[in-house]
Amino acid sequence: MKPNFTAFGKKMLQYGLVLFVAITINFLLPRLAPGDPLLYFFDEGTIKELTTVQKQLALESMGLGGSLFEQYLVYLKEIVSFEFGVSIKYGLPAMEVIWERLPWTLVLIGPAMLLSAVSGVAVGAYSAWNRGKSRDVSLLTVMLTFQAVPGFWIGMLFIAVFAVQFGWFPTYGAVSIVQDGTITGWLKDVALHLVLPIATLSIATVGSNYLLTRSSMLESLGQDYVVMAEAKGVTKNRLIFNHGLRNALLPVYTHFMMNLGTLIGGSVVVETVFSYPGIGRLLYESVVARDFPMMQAVFLLITIGVIAANILADLTYPLIDPRAKSTRYGKGGS
Amino acid sequence: MRKSTKIIGWTGAAMAGAMLLFALVGPFLIPYDAYQQTGASFQAPNAEHWLGTNDMGQDILAELAVGARTSLFIGIATAVIATFIGGIIGVLSGYFGGWFETLMLRLIDVVLTLPFLPLMLVIAVYIGPGAFTQIFVITLVMWAGKARQIRAQTLYIKKAGPVLAAKSMGAGHTYLFRKHILPGVFPLFIPQFVAAVNAAILLESSLSFLGMSDPLMKSWGSILYYANNRSAFLTEAWVWWIIPPGVCIVLVVLAFSFIGYYLEEKVNPRLSAYVPSPKRTKQPIALQQDLLDSEVVLSIDKMTVEYPRKGVFMPVVSGVSLQVHKGEVLGIVGESGSGKTTVASAIIQQLKSPARLSVEGIYFEGKDLQKFSDEEIRTVRGNQIGYIAQAAMNALNPVISIEKQLAEAVLVHHKLPVAELNKRIDEALLQVGLDLKWRHAFPHELSGGMRQRVIIAMALINRPQFVIADEPTTGLDVMVQVEILELLQRLQKELNLSMIFISHDLPAVLKITDRLAIMKYGYIVDGGQSAELAELSTHPYTRRLIDAMPLLTQVKRKAVLTK
Repeated sequence: MKPNFTAFGKKMLQYGLVLFVAITINFLLPRLAPGDPLLYFFDEGTIKELTTVQKQLALESMGLGGSLFEQYLVYLKEIVSFEFGVSIKYGLPAMEVIWERLPWTLVLIGPAMLLSAVSGVAVGAYSAWNRGKSRDVSLLTVMLTFQAVPGFWIGMLFIAVFAVQFGWFPTYGAVSIVQDGTITGWLKDVALHLVLPIATLSIATVGSNYLLTRSSMLESLGQDYVVMAEAKGVTKNRLIFNHGLRNALLPVYTHFMMNLGTLIGGSVVVETVFSYPGIGRLLYESVVARDFPMMQAVFLLITIGVIAANILADLTYPLIDPRAKSTRYGKGGS
Repeated sequence: MRKSTKIIGWTGAAMAGAMLLFALVGPFLIPYDAYQQTGASFQAPNAEHWLGTNDMGQDILAELAVGARTSLFIGIATAVIATFIGGIIGVLSGYFGGWFETLMLRLIDVVLTLPFLPLMLVIAVYIGPGAFTQIFVITLVMWAGKARQIRAQTLYIKKAGPVLAAKSMGAGHTYLFRKHILPGVFPLFIPQFVAAVNAAILLESSLSFLGMSDPLMKSWGSILYYANNRSAFLTEAWVWWIIPPGVCIVLVVLAFSFIGYYLEEKVNPRLSAYVPSPKRTKQPIALQQDLLDSEVVLSIDKMTVEYPRKGVFMPVVSGVSLQVHKGEVLGIVGESGSGKTTVASAIIQQLKSPARLSVEGIYFEGKDLQKFSDEEIRTVRGNQIGYIAQAAMNALNPVISIEKQLAEAVLVHHKLPVAELNKRIDEALLQVGLDLKWRHAFPHELSGGMRQRVIIAMALINRPQFVIADEPTTGLDVMVQVEILELLQRLQKELNLSMIFISHDLPAVLKITDRLAIMKYGYIVDGGQSAELAELSTHPYTRRLIDAMPLLTQVKRKAVLTK
């Protein structure tokens, strides 16, 4: 088996370009935006107290001295050594804050992603198999509606109904302030805090998984190999899963991996609604507090996450589609 | 177009129209200023304030009407700009190609890969919150998807016949654009625009909810932003403060996705052949002993198949009766559309709705296949009746190895130990002249002829006595066609198969069949012993077919006809 290096190399160049653009956006925005650039690093009170010399020194220490090009080189050097500056709000290195928040986002996104994908694919396949019947039409309507609902609004309704009215779940955060001190108690607490955010994120993203599976499944069910398989006498379940869904999954898988970025975007609003201490909420908080170093670091990290997901998709795709591997036998004669 | 598609389209248009009307006249009709305190705080819906008031005593219905203006304005303005920019870049890069296209494609990929919501937030916060900022950042991420799709469409039109013809006659760029490219691409702009409105309204609400809206311009998203920040769900007020703005967003977005669905189906209908089949029920089956005694394997009695066309059922197969005897090869010949493949599908009960089958009986080994239940007919397919599909179409599952597809064909009918199963697969491959190394291959690694061999192996692996070969040589190279034909002929003799051989290729059919049925417009117009028919038929259609056979000399023709 020989992987196709040129195609892979091209993809890598593309991802490199994405990273480069993200870094450059981070670099240019504070420098091009109107107003005192120091405003992006200190609060106004501090700036007023500074002397001109101090300001100059501060600018230089922030990498804002010298020509734009010199600044850029300094900036790149910092990025490469993972120095994203110090958060204004927390007074800590940005990376330190991020590492603390990242696990919460992962426990939120991971299950939501899985739930949304599995249910979207299952319901989509079921809907396609029953194309045109009333259950297909009603599922389609429900899913189109899910897709039209803003995630934050679902979250607000969930809080109002399930957390406040019924009191089944906590209204905000990832853990309760009061703990009984046991590990199981803590785990239960964390799980309870996760239920509503995961449900919200899943509902907000299930629509696109469903729609894609349904249309992809409709296409594969109309293919000759399904007719042939039926003529072979395969059972209904094998027809649906081995032949229809197995082929329909290919575009769904790619879409799913490539859309991790959308999901992280979705987590910004969902974490905001539930005051969930993940990096999505961190991004929002730093936007509100105008904590620019923090904000830039989170943005860059999310971009790196998206690129990683894309690379993973590229690397794993041949596992589910044999046509993506190069031919092992050479093209046969007749 | 399906009726349901039309209903969906009109529902969407009505919903969007109603919202637009609400946005236009709402603020004039509602007697409250959305920005002023016009009542006590947290009033529940009442006769004065139909949807109650918020914490500041502002009328929520008035807020919604003003918010409708903002949301629709930002949604539509963004969609117009994004579709316009995306359209221009798409058309230009698709039409001119070259470095401009390469550059734009790279840029599009970058924009589509970047996490869009964080990107929008980061940029918006530097420019400062406001309607302009929202339009700007949403456009910034949205043009790319539009550009990509419109480029694809332009490329397609550019390579179409009329454009190439105009070009070869010296048409200039202006002429081509005016007469061909723009009229061709424009219909695609509209569904793109509708989808953009949809996405822009959702994005606007998210951005507003994250505090990126103009504080002096109420939108549905910003109403929810304030409701959230002031913990509306801790009070009873959530019912009238949180639900209505969200419902407005859902209704508008849904309206535009309905319209988009309708337009998408109109411009670019999804062509899927799949329609679910109705469930078959078990019925008592009587054995027709006289058919068995006369060694008739298959007997079709007056088969008619109809398809609806513009609401009326039209026959594609009309009163066809056929019989196949043990060890005999019956050829069905006709042009495409003559109904021959429909007959084959009807025999193994694989006609797809909305086809309507009416037949006195399809007797296979004396039993009427029509009366079989789903499970009963399944055990016949591939087990007692082999079906050889046309390999040029993709009759093999592209993601399953040859070996597994062959194994599946056996295992759905018989439980076999692994060793025996492996032996059976090897035998089946060798029987059709395939090297065993192809066992582990996937269909795309095989040539057309090899794939046809695999399909024959698959049809014969359960050793059925009756086989339907549906255009088994179509789409293959001439030399390969001959090989496949010879293979089928050899296997038929060796295994003493009864066979229906369907083809539009008369020389091939004459070579392999004992008897012939000639089909035209759904009728069997002529029939008889193959050799006799070729020599003696006086039916004008049969004569035309036979006389059209490209043979070098009269002598050679005779040699072929008499085998």
